[in-house]
Amino acid sequence: MPNMLWLQGGACSGNTMSFLNAEEPSACDLVTDFGINVLWHPSLGLELGENLQKMLNGLVSGEIPLDIFVFEGSVVNAPNGTGQWNRFAGRAMKDWVSDLCKVAGYVVAVGDCATWGGIPATAPNPSDSQGLQFLKRSHGGYLGTGYTSKAGLPVINVPGCPAHPDWITQIVVAVATGRGGELTLDEFQRPKTFFTSFTQTGCTRNMHFAYKVSATEFGQRKGCLFYDLGCRGPMTHSPCNRILWNRQSSKTRAGMPCMGCTEPEFPFFDLAPGTVFKTQTVMGVPKDMPTGVDKSGYIKLTAAAKAASPRWAEEDIFVV
Amino acid sequence: MRENNDKDTRETIATLLVSGFPTEAFPRADSHEMILDIVARLHALPDDLAQKLTVAGFTPEPVDIDGLSQSCETCMYYLVHQRFCELPELLLPVEPEWSCRLWRI
Ligand code: SF4
Ligand code: SF4
Ligand code: SF4
Repeated sequence: MPNMLWLQGGACSGNTMSFLNAEEPSACDLVTDFGINVLWHPSLGLELGENLQKMLNGLVSGEIPLDIFVFEGSVVNAPNGTGQWNRFAGRAMKDWVSDLCKVAGYVVAVGDCATWGGIPATAPNPSDSQGLQFLKRSHGGYLGTGYTSKAGLPVINVPGCPAHPDWITQIVVAVATGRGGELTLDEFQRPKTFFTSFTQTGCTRNMHFAYKVSATEFGQRKGCLFYDLGCRGPMTHSPCNRILWNRQSSKTRAGMPCMGCTEPEFPFFDLAPGTVFKTQTVMGVPKDMPTGVDKSGYIKLTAAAKAASPRWAEEDIFVV
Repeated sequence: MRENNDKDTRETIATLLVSGFPTEAFPRADSHEMILDIVARLHALPDDLAQKLTVAGFTPEPVDIDGLSQSCETCMYYLVHQRFCELPELLLPVEPEWSCRLWRI
């Protein structure tokens, strides 16, 4: 029975909420169907105080095997590198993280804060936060570039703000059932099975993207959100339109732009006012092009596609 | 119904523009800050056609910037079949060869 421990650093608990809402498989299925022993979790753990400390010390000493260590939230280093702003079970959380990562079979970083620092690490980063093995785009983070867990893998990054419930449970099941070695990770250590395609893959607004018909307000029943409302779907690696949220929908299907939350730079533009939901342009041309597209190609394609757009593309197409 | 209204409004705008009605066609909204600034000014306007055209910088012909011809026809807010500008602060019938400084592709 593989042991799993879940701890929370500088976090809002969003990934915990997400995890508890998982359906395929659910958090309960992890225990009943896959035999995972959830040693402790901030919302589910039974141990408190000294008992919890005893358990953590048992894990660090190797007395209790730690097969999967899941970390949610940033590693807080403030003040002055001591990590005392985020104390847990009698010491700085970052010290528990160091010790537990040394003995863990697999380490899974869940959500943007644990993967790249996320919102807490956004400038001016007052809590001196880092992700486990990245700080934004730069490799290293808290554990350093060379870190590998006992199974020989670096930290497995499951980003998102929050990560989709099923991304979390499916990765936990993969490592718990001995299929961790089959996971292939991309350059940001994200499992390729989830993070090779784009948010745009499967978006119902792709026809409007193709014909260059723009949505100009949230929730409109036609139009693509790339041109005016800052949608980052064409350059964000996520399966949000393949593995739907609540099994129903996605941001872009509902008329809300993708904010690129699975990418290391999220939140983009440091959340400056007027930036997130507006496509940034220079001389009328988008600053951020869809991945793999250059500016002159984009301009030519856009003009031609717009001229060829059919009448239906200008009319409401989605029903509620 | 809207089509008839649009036709009348489009003609009114055309008459104004060809008569040399002065608008703030320059400077163009090259940066994000300028766009926000012009859009904020449009927001603050009363429902007045002439003032909208002035602030948005309408011209009856495309404006060439940096080798790019900026015309309604290629603008992201333009609905080809309805010949209509869907920028929420404008919402005006237009002609494909017109232009304004909020153009974007
Ligand atoms: S709404 Fe976003 S994800 Fe959907 S087609 Fe447009 S740019 Fe792509
Ligand atoms: S649609 Fe974009 S912002 Fe929303 S969850 Fe998916 S990747 Fe994140
Ligand atoms: S925003 Fe675009 S479509 Fe609207 S008037 Fe200006 S150039 Fe024309």
